[in-house]
Amino acid sequence: MPIGRKDKDEEGGGNPFSYIERTAVLQEARIFQQTPINPRKCCEILTKIIYLINQGEVISTTEATETFFAMTKLFQSSDVIMRRMCYLTIKEMSKMTENAFIVTQSLTKDMNGREDIFRAAAVRALCAITDSSTLQGIERYMKQAIVDKVPSVSSAALVSSFHLSKGAHDVVKRWINEVQESCSNDNIMVQYHALGLLYHLRKKDRLATSKMVAKFMKSGLKSPFAYCMLIRIASKLLEEEDSGHDSPAFDFIESCLRNKHELVIYEAASAIVNMPNCTARELAPAVSVLQGFISSPKPSMRYAGAKTLSKVAMKHPSAVTACNLDLENLITDVNRSIATLAITTLLKTGSESSVDRLMKQITSFMSEISDEFKVVVVRAISALCQKYPRKHAVMMNYLSSMLRDEGGFDYKKAIVECIIAILEESPESKESGLSHLCEFIEDCEHTVLATKIIHLLGREGPKTLNPSKYIRFIYNRVILEDEAVRAAAVSALARFGAQCEDLLPSILSLLHHSMMDEDDEVRDRATFYYHTLAQKQKVLNSAYILNGLTVSLSGLERCLQNYLKEVSEEPFNMKSVPLQAIATEETKTAIAPTVRKTKEKTPASRQEMYAEQLSRIPEFKVLGNLFKSSEALELTETETEYVVRCVKHTFDKHIVLQFDCTNTLNDQILENVTVQVEAGDGFEVIAYVPCLCLKYNQPGVTYACVAIPEEDPTEVTTTLSCVMKFVVKDCDPNTGEADDDGYEDEYPLEDVDITVADHVHKVIKPNFGAAWEEVGDENELEDTYALSTVNTLQDAVKNIVKYLGMQACDRSDNVPEGKSAHTLTLAGVYRGGHSVLARAKLVLKDGVTMQLTVRSSDDVAAQVITSAVG
Amino acid sequence: MLALFGKLLDWFKSLFWKEEMELTLVGLQYSGKTTFVNVIASGQFNEDMIPTVGFNMRKVTKGNVTIKVWDIGGQPRFRSMWERYCRGVNAIVYMVDSADIEKIEASTIELHSLLEKPQLQGIPVLVLGNKKDLPQSLDEKELIERMNLAAIQDREICCYSISCKEKDNIDITLQWLTQHSKSGGS
Repeated sequence: MPIGRKDKDEEGGGNPFSYIERTAVLQEARIFQQTPINPRKCCEILTKIIYLINQGEVISTTEATETFFAMTKLFQSSDVIMRRMCYLTIKEMSKMTENAFIVTQSLTKDMNGREDIFRAAAVRALCAITDSSTLQGIERYMKQAIVDKVPSVSSAALVSSFHLSKGAHDVVKRWINEVQESCSNDNIMVQYHALGLLYHLRKKDRLATSKMVAKFMKSGLKSPFAYCMLIRIASKLLEEEDSGHDSPAFDFIESCLRNKHELVIYEAASAIVNMPNCTARELAPAVSVLQGFISSPKPSMRYAGAKTLSKVAMKHPSAVTACNLDLENLITDVNRSIATLAITTLLKTGSESSVDRLMKQITSFMSEISDEFKVVVVRAISALCQKYPRKHAVMMNYLSSMLRDEGGFDYKKAIVECIIAILEESPESKESGLSHLCEFIEDCEHTVLATKIIHLLGREGPKTLNPSKYIRFIYNRVILEDEAVRAAAVSALARFGAQCEDLLPSILSLLHHSMMDEDDEVRDRATFYYHTLAQKQKVLNSAYILNGLTVSLSGLERCLQNYLKEVSEEPFNMKSVPLQAIATEETKTAIAPTVRKTKEKTPASRQEMYAEQLSRIPEFKVLGNLFKSSEALELTETETEYVVRCVKHTFDKHIVLQFDCTNTLNDQILENVTVQVEAGDGFEVIAYVPCLCLKYNQPGVTYACVAIPEEDPTEVTTTLSCVMKFVVKDCDPNTGEADDDGYEDEYPLEDVDITVADHVHKVIKPNFGAAWEEVGDENELEDTYALSTVNTLQDAVKNIVKYLGMQACDRSDNVPEGKSAHTLTLAGVYRGGHSVLARAKLVLKDGVTMQLTVRSSDDVAAQVITSAVG
Repeated sequence: MLALFGKLLDWFKSLFWKEEMELTLVGLQYSGKTTFVNVIASGQFNEDMIPTVGFNMRKVTKGNVTIKVWDIGGQPRFRSMWERYCRGVNAIVYMVDSADIEKIEASTIELHSLLEKPQLQGIPVLVLGNKKDLPQSLDEKELIERMNLAAIQDREICCYSISCKEKDNIDITLQWLTQHSKSGGS
């Protein structure tokens, strides 16, 4: 105890409860049973108990029950403060103790009693000890309390009912008349709580909700809080209806912009701003209200206005330009958060000429704002760079000085990502960007960032005019940093060695040093790279240093496990391993519009999932490893009786069509569902796997397997016409019980095209030049085409990538603006594991002319690819 | 200063003229416990009562004695908790519906198992046979016999037949109770 006292003295006015201990407090709680009661002392002990519970102290059920019953003895005293402490204790202990319902009688007495000061708290405590089984006993009192004339009692009853409705929704629903009555209460809090509960009880019923909203929109409300709630409900309805903004709900929200309460005005403005697909005309009144906010004398209003405007500026920069003048005034606001928001908003909306001035302003107080806002600034700069490429040099200077300042991981990460984005965009700022990053890793405490930068140096450094200057920076890391960074640095060095012949001897000696490293990974990498480089063969360099593995790692693991299980004389075949799916932005946008959100998984796991599903079907075991799965194609309109989508799975010699079918008729059950495929062009259907039963709204899967023609290996494209065949049985929509008799029926589907892209898997070759040399010109094909249908180089690039199904390398899918010629480099793997590379030289001159050169390790693959454009 | 003096005066007063006692009222449901409390507190009899969920705490002043009454619900789920409220009281009042012959046995079992609790050793017990006004009701003698009250030897035990409705024998009950207040009893 003396030690404790000493500590307390040092702390000054510290927490008086920091030294209390559970068993001692529970011991003290015994005085609850003594008479006469000492309210002051008991209150202190109750406070300690509540404190302990809120500190997460575990009190056993026996202990809790003992203490709880001792506490009930305190009900003999009518000391106001102590009684209210008892209510709090009951709420806290209600879930720990046994038989908490013992206080029911006392609490109902208090909630209906004459002491108004007890009533609201008693309602809350009573609801805390009540569960759905005992709720009926107090139902009558709750109904009375909801319409009580004392506002605090009514509010307490409404809020408690809200909590009770989690377990006993149906019981609380019976009180809806009382709740409705409270909606017209004059007290602003009661009205708000009543509306909240009413919405909660009705929110599952769309029609009832919209009726309710319509009613209150007409009759109006007293409470500004209730108005805010109503705005939120209305905007949610609008979002769900998704029927444009011509509805009364939108008019209501707009009318709230003229409410006399600032709270309501802001809520309405923010609701309009957050609506998806809002037009500029609809946005205008909200923006002008926010404009009024930012010139308000109250800091909180200015903050709210600036914050919301910066959000608007993200989507509709032009709408905010009208506020530029007012935002300018906020730049020097004493509240730095407001100033930061104003400046970053201006950066998004202002003209190019004002950028310098704004940046100077913001750097003047960069050190005064928190990391969170610093990140906001960096994001704004990043957006700015995309808009004004000419400002890269200026921005790079700011970013580098920010990189030198103090800041947390998120802040530094944002800066590094921004710099990397800039130097990938613009070749002019590459050198300066790299040297800023080099400087940064000299003193970087974040391993993740350091390895990221070193990897970037390894990729970009060798291509610069003077690669040798980066080697010093990288090698310093090998000497000074932890294992992860050292390993990354060794890999980066090897890349320099593979591409810069004059540096090779020095690199080899550096790697030789690292072969004595104490970490296994670093040592292994160094040894491997040293011996590979020492061979001085370009093909080896390309395959093992510059371009690396393109297979999916989990796929490789599975294949190796399978290989080890069966004893085999043959060496392991790398070509049979599924390839790494590439998560490009294209695939993301392709998936996003499909309404089902479950589909939005990473493409890698999607392919794994398909492989797993297919391997479980015995018919498909013989097909080998899954090579590629396409995106899902819709074969029906979305609003039809049956919805079918198709995924094409490519195997070594076969294509499996997976049809995901959904039956949207609740009075039918489909049985024995297959999709009959009419094949042509030498393709042949060899197997069907039917879906035995397709119930209402439960997706089912049926498969068709098609053999790819073998006589002419270049014949790989065709169009398959599909018809869904099935037996229909009528059923009861409610029970789902089907009749015994059914009849056969069929349903036409859209055709499925098998394209060249289905036979090609995208792979990333980080170093295209080296890969090009590695494959060699043995199977090289070259041809010139006139692409008459496209008018710009960017469109041409997009189409070529789509037709060939290959991955654009070295960011060559981005055509710099204003150029009339462009070279697109593509990499892929053809069915069977042959790598294919293509180089398309494009010239814009009355349409686009393309010279396409294809190299592959397999002559068929090269032929197929060249034939795809035509 | 004045307040302090007032408190001192109160304390003196209570020392000479006031006495306090605490008693717990238990028994099966619908035997008339809460009605009894109402009758001794305000003299009012109310036919229309609802079951007690939990406990009622009432303070009744009779002459110079203040009686704190813990009136505990009689439904089965509360019976295990009777003992907690009987600990340390001056007397346990056990209410029996003397007109409900079928429940007498259940009531007897509950009483005996309550009095077996070691924590309650020596606490005086008053058994009240309520609803004396009803024709088929048992009188004291029959109750003592039916409930085997003679077997309880380790404490003071007493049995009265009362009627809350007609306020019959309420006076002798109160007399017994006040005798068992802190000083009066022992």
